[in-house]
Amino acid sequence: MTDSGTEPQKVMVEKQAKDLLSNHGISVPRSVLSKDLPASIRLKFPVVLKVSDERILHKTDVGGVILNIGTQEALEREFISMKSRFPDSEYLIEEMLPSGIEYIIGVTRDRDFGQVIMLGSGGIFTELYGDVTFRKIPIFKEDAEEMITGIASGRFCQGFRGKKVDCNALADLLIKISALLESGSYPIESMDLNPVIALEKGVVVADAKIILRGKS
Amino acid sequence: MLEHLFNPESISVVGASSDPRKIGHAVLENLVLQGYGGRIYPVNPASSEIMGLKCYPSLEAIPSRVDLAVITLPAKQSVDLLEQCVKKKIPYAVIVAGGFSEAGEEGRVLETRLREIIKGTGTRVIGPNTVGVLFPYTGVNTALTPHDRLFFPEKGEVGFISQSGALGLLVMDSITEYRMGISGFINIGNRADIAETDSLRLFEADPNTKSIVMYLESVSDGEQFFKTVKEVNRKKPVIILKTGRSLESTRAAASHTGAMASNDRVFSGIMRQAGITRAYDETELLDFGKALAYQRPPPGKRVAVITTAGGVGVLTTDLLTSPDNHGRLEMASFNDEETREMRKFVLPFASVANPIDLTADGSTEAYGKILDVLVRSDSVDAIIAYALPQTPKINMDIVGTLKLAASSKPVVAGAIGNRLSKVMLGELEAARIPAFPSVSRTVGAMKVLCEYGEYLRRHRND
Repeated sequence: MTDSGTEPQKVMVEKQAKDLLSNHGISVPRSVLSKDLPASIRLKFPVVLKVSDERILHKTDVGGVILNIGTQEALEREFISMKSRFPDSEYLIEEMLPSGIEYIIGVTRDRDFGQVIMLGSGGIFTELYGDVTFRKIPIFKEDAEEMITGIASGRFCQGFRGKKVDCNALADLLIKISALLESGSYPIESMDLNPVIALEKGVVVADAKIILRGKS
Repeated sequence: MLEHLFNPESISVVGASSDPRKIGHAVLENLVLQGYGGRIYPVNPASSEIMGLKCYPSLEAIPSRVDLAVITLPAKQSVDLLEQCVKKKIPYAVIVAGGFSEAGEEGRVLETRLREIIKGTGTRVIGPNTVGVLFPYTGVNTALTPHDRLFFPEKGEVGFISQSGALGLLVMDSITEYRMGISGFINIGNRADIAETDSLRLFEADPNTKSIVMYLESVSDGEQFFKTVKEVNRKKPVIILKTGRSLESTRAAASHTGAMASNDRVFSGIMRQAGITRAYDETELLDFGKALAYQRPPPGKRVAVITTAGGVGVLTTDLLTSPDNHGRLEMASFNDEETREMRKFVLPFASVANPIDLTADGSTEAYGKILDVLVRSDSVDAIIAYALPQTPKINMDIVGTLKLAASSKPVVAGAIGNRLSKVMLGELEAARIPAFPSVSRTVGAMKVLCEYGEYLRRHRND
C-alpha cells in the first residue's frame, strides 16, 4: 500500500519540477515557460507545447500536449489554439527529444518500508507486463545496476536489435534521485519521471510529476 | 539474555495438568519427553504432583529462580499471570492462548494491557497465540501438540522463525523424514513483544545456528526489519517465505508509480536489496535453509554435474541453465587435460563432458576419482552430485567420498528413489551434505547457494 493519503499534498508544475531536477544535475529538455508567445524563442525546433497548470494532472488526456512542432509559424498557430482551450494557464515550450528507449522512474511511499524508488520499462509495457522493480531509498551503485538488469528493458544496455542505451547514465540518474530524496532538502512525497528517454549517450527526463508534502 | 531462552535453568508450566486433553498436559509432557535437563515446575493450585513432578499452587510459591514460564491458561488469566512473572523477574514468558489482537476489539485491549505490564521490565513475552519454542540442544519444547502425534527435529544448524505455529510444527514434522535437524524454533505468534527482528538477533547470536529460515505473513516494523535482516544476512544467510503475494495495492494511488507498487513487488525488490534468499513454498524454505547452513557459497556460477543416470544429468542441465525465481547458472566446461584424466575412469561410451555420466557401470571408486578432478579444476565453482544407490557398484561409501569433496568445494547432492535412496539421504544429512530427493530441489538449492555468493561479492562495500 502506497501514497499515504492522509497528509495534504501539493503538485509541482512541470517546469518547477524539471528545474528542481536540473539543479541536481539531471538532464531535462531545454524549455521556456510563458503566458504569451515570445516573439522568438531560443530553442531548437522541433519543439513540444504543453499546458502548464497545477490543476491539470493528466495533460495528454485533455489535449494539453502538442508534439513535434517544426517551425515558428506552426508554433504560433498551436499556441493560439491551446490558449483558447486553456485561457487561464501558462504554457511550456520544450525542445523535442530524439527517440530512444523509454523508461519510467518513480518514487512512492510504502506502508511498511517507507519511501521506495521504482524503475520500469516505459510506455504501456510497465502496466502490461508489470515489468518494474523497487528498492528502498537510499540505493547504492550495485543496487541501481541490479535494478536495471532486473527489468526486461535492461537488455538494451548490451544492445538489442540494433538499439543500445547508456546504462551508466541510467544508473547514475537512479542514484541521483535516491540522493535527492535522502537529502530531505525538499519534502518530496512521490514522483513520476515518465518517460525517461535513454539514448546511446545520456538519459533525459522528458516528463516529470513531483508531489510535495504540505498544503496545496 | 539469549541464554535464559535457549538454555534455561528452570521452566515453569503454568496451568500444567494431568488431564491429557488439556494443553497444559501436552506442554509438560513434551518438556519431559524431549529430555529437558533443567528443573521443571508445574503450577496448578488443584494438584500436588503431575507426572511425578512436585506441583506448586502459584509462581510465587516456587522457591527458586524461573528462567522461562510457559503459560497455558486462557487469554485473560494469562495476562493477569504475567504480572506475577514480572514480580518474580522471570526473563521469558510464552503465552500460548489465542483470543488477543487476532480476535477483535476485546482481544486488542487485552494485548495492549499485556504490553503495558512488561514495559520497562526484565520480562520478555513470546506470543500470545503461539505454540512457543523448541530448542533441541537443550530439550526445551513448549509445543502444545501431543508428543505421539508428530516428530520433532533433532539438533541441527538451521534456526526457524515462524509467524504461524501450525505451519511451523507441520514443516518440522516433515523434515524429520530425512533426519534434518534445527538449532531452534520460535513461533512469534501475535508478536506483542518479541517480533521477527528480535528473533533474528537471537539466532544471530546463537552459536549453533548457521542459517535462519523465516515464515512471515507481514512485517511489523519495515524499516527496522530491513536494517536488521540485511545486517544478519551477511553473517548468517536468511531465507524468507512471505505470504500475501496476491494482495495488490488496495487504494487508488495518485501516481503511476504508486499504482504499480503492489506489496509483493515492493517486498521482492527490498529483499533483493538486502540479499535475502526467497522461498516460495514451505519445502523450498527448509531446503534452502539446509543448503546455506551446510555449504559455503561458491566463488562463481560454474557448476559441474556428476551422475550415474543420463536422464538425471540432462534434466539437471535444463533446470540449471533456464531462468526462474532463483536465477540461472552456467555449466562448467573442462579442459583437455581434465577430460583425458576423467576418461581413464569410465567406460568408452560414458560422457565426461558436463554433465558427467558414469552410466550404470559407474562405481563409487570411479566417482571418487572424477570428483577429485573436479575439485582441482579451476573452471568448476561448485558440484552437483547424484548419489544413486540403485546400481550395484554404488554403495554408501559414496557419502564419505562426497564429504571429502565438499571440504574443498561446495557440493549439493541428489538421491532419487525410495528404498535405498532414503537411507542415502539420511546418511548425507548426517554428513551435513545438503541432499534432496528430486532434481528440481537439488538444482534449486544450488541456485540459491550461488546467488547468495554473488550477492556477498557484489555488495562487499555497502
